[in-house]
Amino acid sequence: MTNMALRELASLEKYLGLKKPNKYSTQGDKKVPVLQNNNGPPLVGLVTIACHLVKEAQRPELLGDSAESRAVVQQWLEYSVTKLNSCTKEDSKTVLKDLNVYLQDKVYLAGNQITLADILMYYGIHPLILDLTIQEKEQYVNVTRWFDHIQHYPSIRHHLPVIVVLRNRIYTSRHH
Amino acid sequence: MKLFISEGNPHCLKVLSALGVTGVQCDVQCVNHEERVVPFLSRPAVPALLLPNGLYLFSSNAICRYLFEVNGQESSELCNQWLEWEATDLQPALLQALHMAVLQGKGSEVSKVLQSPLNFLDQSLGKGNTPYLTGEAVSVADIVLWAALYPVLSESSLALGEGKSMKAWFDRIAAMHSCQSAAQKVLQGKGLQGMKSYMQRQPAPHSNQCRETQPCNSN
Repeated sequence: MTNMALRELASLEKYLGLKKPNKYSTQGDKKVPVLQNNNGPPLVGLVTIACHLVKEAQRPELLGDSAESRAVVQQWLEYSVTKLNSCTKEDSKTVLKDLNVYLQDKVYLAGNQITLADILMYYGIHPLILDLTIQEKEQYVNVTRWFDHIQHYPSIRHHLPVIVVLRNRIYTSRHH
Repeated sequence: MKLFISEGNPHCLKVLSALGVTGVQCDVQCVNHEERVVPFLSRPAVPALLLPNGLYLFSSNAICRYLFEVNGQESSELCNQWLEWEATDLQPALLQALHMAVLQGKGSEVSKVLQSPLNFLDQSLGKGNTPYLTGEAVSVADIVLWAALYPVLSESSLALGEGKSMKAWFDRIAAMHSCQSAAQKVLQGKGLQGMKSYMQRQPAPHSNQCRETQPCNSN
């Protein structure tokens, strides 16, 4: 099977509109992505490489537009590479529950615009959302609302299938 | 801005050291391990930093990075790489090691668990040939890794830290006054035993990581 992290990086490159394809390899048992960098030593790690690509594409706003939002972006990037790896059902429930509360009054994970945190969290949480029943999707309604927003964002989805997360009921209830 | 910490929590050693090294002004409040500081998390998460904009940071690495950035030291790509390694590779091994040493009395087996990340750190420091991880000056990566490793490397009974380059690096940072006083404040001079009540409240570590084996329905 193709390495998930490498597919996420390839999709990110397309989203960023990077023309020159980068060369990647992996290292270790966990198949950590490695970017062969012409101008220096190789870069190791999904988050590190993703931040590098954002800089290469000259889209610094994707890393946050203030020291505070940059810290929040980094926090969710770390969360997505550490917490979403765990495979117990209990752990994924906690992730969904906490994100659901966090996203209650938010459109994006950090600040008022899309950031790299939304993109990598979307890639990382995709398998969890795929496993949810319709009832569970309603239970985590803030997460699924955020997820649906990000998956329909122009050119982010690429390697992943669209997941139908919202039932019509939610739309019709708006028109009372 | 307000920083919440608890005694005996190794992640608090990171943020207190970073606070001391950067000299950023911030209220510090000591809470107990059960305190739910961050409203949206179902498990207690300390340390936590309440930002001026009302948002909470609950990742110790993100807090340290923020303190350094506020102090005018933005983290470099090499710094980013060390911080990611610390969170994804070192922490799972450390959690397992501390679980063994603090709760199970299996201190003699700790070196097996930590050998690979410690070797990696020692070799990188040896190859880099600079006093600190990312160059000639201390960076957020040094503080985070030093604090993460302090509980195990300062415990001579665990017999770790034979790597020459790592030992020199570790002692260089341990000599900084801010780091010493942070260690005293968090561990109270009690070493590993100072972490017992914190470790008892942590979920038992599961060693297998299986992102790659998760079912993937595309293609």
